[in-house]
Amino acid sequence: MEREKATTLYIGPQHPGITGNMMVRLKVEGDTIVGARTEVGYLHRAFEKLVERRNWVQSFTMMCRFCVPEPDPVEESYARAVEMLDKIEIPERAKWIRVLVLELARMSSLLLWHAGQGHSLGLYTMGQWSVGDRNYILDLFEELTGARIYHMFIWPGGVRRDFPEGFEDKVLRTMDYLEKRLEDYDNLLFENSIFQKRTQGVGYVSPEKIIEHGVVGPVLRGSGIKSDIRIDDPYEVYDKLDFVVPTQPGGDIWARALVRRVEIRQSISIIRQVIENIPKGEVYTKVPNPQKWKIPRGDAYARTESVRGEVGMFVASDGGRKPRRVHFRGAAYVHAVTLLEDVLIGQNIADVSAIMNSLGTCPPEIER
Amino acid sequence: METLLEKIKDRVSVNFDLKDHKIYADQKRVDLFFKKEHIPSVLLYLKEQMDFRHLMHMSVIDWLEEGEFEVIFLLWAPKEKIKVFVKTRIDRENPVMENMDNIWPQLNTYEREFKEMYGIEFPGLVAPEEFILEAWTGPPPMRRDFETDKFAKDNFATRPGREDAQDVRETIAKRSGEDIPDFAKKYSR
Repeated sequence: MEREKATTLYIGPQHPGITGNMMVRLKVEGDTIVGARTEVGYLHRAFEKLVERRNWVQSFTMMCRFCVPEPDPVEESYARAVEMLDKIEIPERAKWIRVLVLELARMSSLLLWHAGQGHSLGLYTMGQWSVGDRNYILDLFEELTGARIYHMFIWPGGVRRDFPEGFEDKVLRTMDYLEKRLEDYDNLLFENSIFQKRTQGVGYVSPEKIIEHGVVGPVLRGSGIKSDIRIDDPYEVYDKLDFVVPTQPGGDIWARALVRRVEIRQSISIIRQVIENIPKGEVYTKVPNPQKWKIPRGDAYARTESVRGEVGMFVASDGGRKPRRVHFRGAAYVHAVTLLEDVLIGQNIADVSAIMNSLGTCPPEIER
Repeated sequence: METLLEKIKDRVSVNFDLKDHKIYADQKRVDLFFKKEHIPSVLLYLKEQMDFRHLMHMSVIDWLEEGEFEVIFLLWAPKEKIKVFVKTRIDRENPVMENMDNIWPQLNTYEREFKEMYGIEFPGLVAPEEFILEAWTGPPPMRRDFETDKFAKDNFATRPGREDAQDVRETIAKRSGEDIPDFAKKYSR
């Protein structure tokens, strides 16, 4: 009788370092992966079905729940898609506040990424530091929006409220603190020889795979391609801000880590620019009574650059009070399915978690 | 911008039988409508010949009243920085689309989802039988005529004491043998 060479190994559905549940079924020969298949179905919440029975404003309350670690880009995409459909022009100050919220969310999510990437390689101190520091950003969110994780702040028409008194100073003080902390992160993570050895040459994404798999965000930039929706297809006031889009040619986990290392610093710079240049004025354009608000028939797609890359919201209206279709596109929908299955071939079992984290795996984006 | 989008429409219409089009200059977007048979060749042409290399999204809208599904491919040209929405309509009763994951492998995931959620067949799609739903025997759940409430009642039992439309305060008070406090009575049904 011929013996099977490959063994089936299940990784997940619980993982350290990624948010949500997802399983990867591996075929391994020794320590080497020869086949991989992403299996989802653990947290489908049918948001896209539920919104068909809710009006445009009720639907908005569900948007942030599409992605736990970074809910604000999803809210912003939905709000902007609805505004495109109903041709609503929002006040200038609201656009600046939206950028501030998006960048704070980016920082918060990047700090979580530090934790996840560290954990996936056994560097647990990184997570303790960065999750602790992330709390300072969540404090800012709490003060601005009333909530720490799901903010429901960026909604169709603008943002829900203006800055509380003294908020700008607190933001700047927090940025000063975090900027100093990033030096410690460099010492702990990026200059750590274990981190370097475990990430260099691992989880390689070749330029050919980029187009085939619709790769976006830091994974794209980590393979040497300069692309960022904030620059290429600017929204809100990103065209008025000065920031750098980092790239790295390596295509491996290390290259993507270096990209993210610069991005968190760029977010600090953007936040300071927003505080310095934000104009005075209203923060909200009045929209019709939600119970009577009808939006003309049509469709729109709004996309936002999140930490994982492009997230977008396709919204279609039939002219009624409820959406006909709301369809979310998350970066993980491609990164964590077809791309991950491809990238894992030939890798070592011990690197699976690190690769998943590096590709921005977020299962709630796959099954909404 | 409008001229550029018009040019794109003209170039595509020379090679394919374009049914209709719509330009949204403010969104840097042109919508192109085709018969479903032309979709694979249109997508391949846009990807290989016209720089629309990035597939941003693929979506389906259920137009129940019109008896059709609208299938939409959202493409982005990184150099020109414009969007094309390629749209088609397919019969709702017998929904079949050609498998196109040879153009963009990521379409494999979309097709698996739409097969499960809308019942659209993609002949030639190579993928495991199940994607999100497990051992699902009901109708495709994202179709607009899927009766959520009926499906739930037919397939899932209600826990005794937790029947629908009950007042939670009353139930808890009854269970513990206490009265509902006066301040809470106004909220009771």
